[in-house]
Amino acid sequence: MSDLRPITALGAALPRLASFGALEIRENGGLALASMALRRGTVEPTPFGLALPGPGRWIAGQGVAALWTGLDQWMIEAEGRAELDFAAELKQLAPGCSVTEQTDGWVAFEIVSRAGTGPIDALLSKLVNVDLADFGPGCATRTGLEHMSCFVIRRSEAHIAVLGARSSAGSLWHALETAAKRLEER
Amino acid sequence: MTRLAGGLIDRSQTLNFTFDGQRYHGHAGDTLASALLANGVRLMGRSFKYHRPRGVLSAGSEEPNALVELRTGARREPNTRATTVELFDGLEARSQNRWPSLGFDALAVNDLLSPFFTAGFYYKTFMWPKAFWEKLYEPVIRRAAGLGRLSMQADPDVYDKGFLHCDLLVIGGGAAGLAAALTAARSGARVILADEDFRLGGRLLSETRTLDGAQASDWISALEAEFESLPNIRVMRRTTVFGVYDHGIYGAVESVSDHLPEVSGRVRQTLWRITAKRAVLAAGATERPIAFADNDRPGIMLAGAMRAYANRWAACPSETVAVFTNNDDGHHTARDLAAKGVQIAAVIDARPEAKARGDYRLIAGGMVTGSRGRLGLKSIEVQANGRSESIECGALGVSGGWNPNVHLFSHHRGRPVWNEPLQAFLPGEDGPVGLIPAGAAAGHFSTADALRSGARAAQRAMDELGIAASLPDLPRAEEADYTVAPVFHVPGKKRAWVDFQNDVTVKDIKLAHAENMRPVEHLKRYTTLGMATDQGKTSNVTGLAVMAELTGRSIPKIGTTIFRPPYTPVTLSVLGGGDTGRHFRPRRLTPTHHWAEAQGAVFVEVGQWMRAQYFPRPGETHWRHSVDREARAVRGAVGLCDVTTLGKIDVQGADAGEFLNRLYCNMMATLKVGRVRYGLMLREDGFAYDDGTCARLAEDHCVVTTTTANAGLVYRNMEFARQCLWPELDVQLISTTDAWAQIAVAGPKSRALLARIVDRFDLSNEAFPFMACTELTVCDGLRARLFRISFSGELAYEIAVPARYGHALIERLMELGADLGATPYGTEALGVLRIEKGHAAGPELNGQATALMVGLGSMVSQKKDSVGAVMSRREGLAGDRRRLVGLRPVDPAGNVVSGSHLFAEGAPRKFDTDQGWTTSACYSPHVGSMIGLGFLENGDERLGEVIVAANPLEGESSRLRVVPAHFVDPEGARLRE
Repeated sequence: MSDLRPITALGAALPRLASFGALEIRENGGLALASMALRRGTVEPTPFGLALPGPGRWIAGQGVAALWTGLDQWMIEAEGRAELDFAAELKQLAPGCSVTEQTDGWVAFEIVSRAGTGPIDALLSKLVNVDLADFGPGCATRTGLEHMSCFVIRRSEAHIAVLGARSSAGSLWHALETAAKRLEER
Repeated sequence: MTRLAGGLIDRSQTLNFTFDGQRYHGHAGDTLASALLANGVRLMGRSFKYHRPRGVLSAGSEEPNALVELRTGARREPNTRATTVELFDGLEARSQNRWPSLGFDALAVNDLLSPFFTAGFYYKTFMWPKAFWEKLYEPVIRRAAGLGRLSMQADPDVYDKGFLHCDLLVIGGGAAGLAAALTAARSGARVILADEDFRLGGRLLSETRTLDGAQASDWISALEAEFESLPNIRVMRRTTVFGVYDHGIYGAVESVSDHLPEVSGRVRQTLWRITAKRAVLAAGATERPIAFADNDRPGIMLAGAMRAYANRWAACPSETVAVFTNNDDGHHTARDLAAKGVQIAAVIDARPEAKARGDYRLIAGGMVTGSRGRLGLKSIEVQANGRSESIECGALGVSGGWNPNVHLFSHHRGRPVWNEPLQAFLPGEDGPVGLIPAGAAAGHFSTADALRSGARAAQRAMDELGIAASLPDLPRAEEADYTVAPVFHVPGKKRAWVDFQNDVTVKDIKLAHAENMRPVEHLKRYTTLGMATDQGKTSNVTGLAVMAELTGRSIPKIGTTIFRPPYTPVTLSVLGGGDTGRHFRPRRLTPTHHWAEAQGAVFVEVGQWMRAQYFPRPGETHWRHSVDREARAVRGAVGLCDVTTLGKIDVQGADAGEFLNRLYCNMMATLKVGRVRYGLMLREDGFAYDDGTCARLAEDHCVVTTTTANAGLVYRNMEFARQCLWPELDVQLISTTDAWAQIAVAGPKSRALLARIVDRFDLSNEAFPFMACTELTVCDGLRARLFRISFSGELAYEIAVPARYGHALIERLMELGADLGATPYGTEALGVLRIEKGHAAGPELNGQATALMVGLGSMVSQKKDSVGAVMSRREGLAGDRRRLVGLRPVDPAGNVVSGSHLFAEGAPRKFDTDQGWTTSACYSPHVGSMIGLGFLENGDERLGEVIVAANPLEGESSRLRVVPAHFVDPEGARLRE
């Protein structure tokens, strides 16, 4: 085990956590990510027992989840495995697939509402041009957020995740924080 | 004049405000205009050109006259319409475009000089001498003929934005809009109802007409309560839909805290982007005045506005009023005001057959031919049946008919259609897809018609969406017919105003006609008709009518000008979306950013990235001290530089090699596993556009690097090639730029330094030669990638670890390399090193250079096809004889300036003798002088020749010697050591 100490996307030793009224925004530093794309003639695998979702969808299993990111390609998430070589593990379970480590390509912010779906919807409507009538639990999309390309995942009615480029984590936090604060003040 | 009885104001709440420093009070529910009228203030502004005293003309967002400055300091906002300003306690308003005061304005002298200020005045007068325009004429004109003043300070307010989606957007909350919203909301559809006013109801609020025998406000309140109880309708008050865009997208601005006394820190306005499957345009109609001599005095206003002030705001500009009309609506004003106890001096109706609708004096077939009163109306001149008389009154309500608000419907170049009975333009057939006009905006002027058409429009929209919607029971309402006589102006010799805000008179239109500025677009620009901030809402149709009369053509033959967003003025700040300064755009930080910051690095913006430019040390007083030291450290010991910003693209699949072979102009398929190759990409037109490296980690796995600037572009082009050009290839792509922290370790001691962190890995030249690559572990087990590539020309490597470890890795390298002289270096030293080595970068690969020009012509493989290869061989490109050369000043102390143009010694410095330009220049600590790179005509054959680098714009030039483009280690021995 290397003695090099990692830092978070926001540049600290520990993930950031903040509350704004009913909303809590948590930097998810433990989330491992790997992309998986089917090669020609490959049978669609079911890594970790996940039935890979179709366009616009996200599906969760035990500590792992998958979201559709393009034709024949998915992003696989694994809770708490960011320090491990998750891509290598996935590769074993996805024969004939192109797997690429993506963990540190992204920063993940988990946004949870303590007051149901209302604050989540209000927040999303300030951030992304997504029709919320068609964005219930199990939906995921790639969209622009303050000029940043992000994945937005509806993990449940009151829980969304925003994945953005790790290098712009600070700008993404600013955008989320600003919108959440304004909802709190309203 | 004190308040009338009734109205929709809350008399229990008294609000204090000032206008031009004078203290007044109004009530909750007032606008600034209604409160001023209630305080007896008729004079509210000065006109644009002639500085004529002006009062309020309208009661809505179409107002051309009552423009004021609000607030103070950096929050001062000019050109705000007093008619749309919701009164709040402590409001400070000032009149504008006057000096020294509103009552006495020195520039009112312009009015006496009016014969000189007619249409086309500027074009004719300020033509000569040309040099005077910018320095003299324009500033003077701007001062004399102006609107309000900007604060000249940064806007301190906070703005927000958001996105909404709905089945139906209802634009306007009057009778038609409310009926439409009700119909759709009850069907279960997702509805947004937006209205610019702070109170729903539109024109219903200004009329005494009843709904189901009760006050209209009762019906509105019941509806509001129902909307409140429905989860599927969002009511947005104070929200102006200002533009219609493609695919059912509507721009709207919600005024969040403009009406609140304390704005600090709060969001002031929100820009909403509304995506609606269907929309109903229920924007109502705007009354138009009739132009007559001196029709612009304070106290002369639209009859409908006068009625609105009396009914909704219990305010009237005078105790004695007259009405001038060409339709029945003027009579409603007289009747309503009489009922409120206002004395009606007379109703002058241009129609000879007109009948009185109440107990007042009617002058049928009459015309108002003039007015008196310097700062406010005192009397009017009336002509009827060959007789003329003067009638005393403090206010005159004028109604020339109503113009449906077709603006939004015309935003996609939809052309409105003239309706002869209504004497107005109605929405045509070619408006924005999915936008359905209703109510007065569609020419349904009676309340009952408006309600019905609103409900039907919503039902039609629901029907198109497959949502069952039944028509609601609508309240019984007035069904009066609307008749109007085509009277647009009263003939006469004196000036009669058409466009109040831009001071355009009937005379100006006549002059434009006489000078052949007859097409409607010429008329607009020559006279500035409709070009003010109100966009001619009260004047355009009248202007067209006058031109029609002069040309003997019909109004529809004259046509209309193009309607464009925004419907009413929108602040630039809210369009900007809110974030300014540091947050104006996203910033990307490298994995070692926080470390570099702690080292005191100076950063430079490279696109969105912040990169360390150099690392100053104590005692270094000039950036060159730091940069020279950093460059020497790389040449003499070992330097560390974060190069994460270079694009990294993971290319996998059975055809990865073939795919890259087609993208790079040089051979890539033959690259062996464990090796890296430099690659050059061409654009389809044959020019070079990006360079980088390709590392083959496995037969079916490559990692490609791009320049920082083109990371996104190359990835996009690769995706396009994969999906569209060669979908048959088995290739998968994904960006890994952010995933890996990549650090260049460069210099003769780089191997020694890396040997201290790699886990049991043989770094010897034999085992890991120049252009080798591998996956390995470092620092006891951390997965990493190592590439032996060099940008500096020294023995060098780039090492990559997961981004979260970049910070720790550079710390570790610095710590372990202290005795080796490990030195961080920034982008400046990086530039110096690559210029010394003659590596092309952004300034060389600027989109205008070919592979031949940068000396890489032989890289374009003849053995295979690749993007741009064929085009690179076309005559025009292959025949370009400019070549990349090195440049050194003949005088060692001389300068080399990038961007200079190159000429043969003694040749004239002209376009046709231009032989190239300097692309890059720096001080080279290795050479001991300035050096440069440049493209020079036949450069490869002119080594040793002395040429001139000149900047003819600033009269500078220097003599440079042409040398090979490698100032250091031309044989390339160092990087292979």
